[in-house]
Amino acid sequence: MDNTLPPLDNVRIPTVMSDDFKNRVRVRLYQLFLEFGRCPCKAELAADLGCSAPDIAEAYHELAAAHALVLQPASGEVLMANPLSAVPTPFAVETQGPTGQRTWYGNCIWDALGVIAMLNSDGSVLASCGCCGESITVGVHNGEVSSHPPGVVHFALPARRWWDDIVFN
Amino acid sequence: MLIFRSEDHIDRWCKAWRLERGETLSLERTWQLADAWYRDRMRADWRRRTVDETHELFRSLGLTTDFWRFS
Repeated sequence: MDNTLPPLDNVRIPTVMSDDFKNRVRVRLYQLFLEFGRCPCKAELAADLGCSAPDIAEAYHELAAAHALVLQPASGEVLMANPLSAVPTPFAVETQGPTGQRTWYGNCIWDALGVIAMLNSDGSVLASCGCCGESITVGVHNGEVSSHPPGVVHFALPARRWWDDIVFN
Repeated sequence: MLIFRSEDHIDRWCKAWRLERGETLSLERTWQLADAWYRDRMRADWRRRTVDETHELFRSLGLTTDFWRFS
């Protein structure tokens, strides 16, 4: 039997994570996402906030439990910081920023339009028909939406089932 | 939530996936929903809406059927 205690550096002392810290993690995640043009990893966010990657992981899990984030199942990195997707999806969003055109990904057509709303910007969603794959470009200009060709949006699941399988939804 | 070229394409997709038809929104209504839902998401004072607040938001956009209720 090995009675050797682990080195202190490897011991995680349980703490009560403050709502303020979780909110700092959440807000800084979005800010770095926009700054980098991609989702930061836990280590990058930890370095930015001057804390440890396990602290970020713990905050992520609590934010995910509160449905404020969706995490990748194996790595625990962010999958969705809604409306933004951390991974490419069939809903590419192009917006015009101070440094030129930026491309983002939404988790669905609702979220793709949400990216444009969140950025308070004009923009375009490069999508395709869920049935036949025909290209559909949705534009938002001065708060007015249009598409070419015309399109309609289908919500397959009722609201009460949205979080049963958020990745499918 | 997917976009389709027409209602007929939604029907074909539902049939292919053996799914019941859900609800269809115009792009204009979807944009209004996206704007109301996400415009404040990056703000430090953002918090999740309560169920009642969410129902009120849906109601304000004319989304009043049981489909849009969490309980």
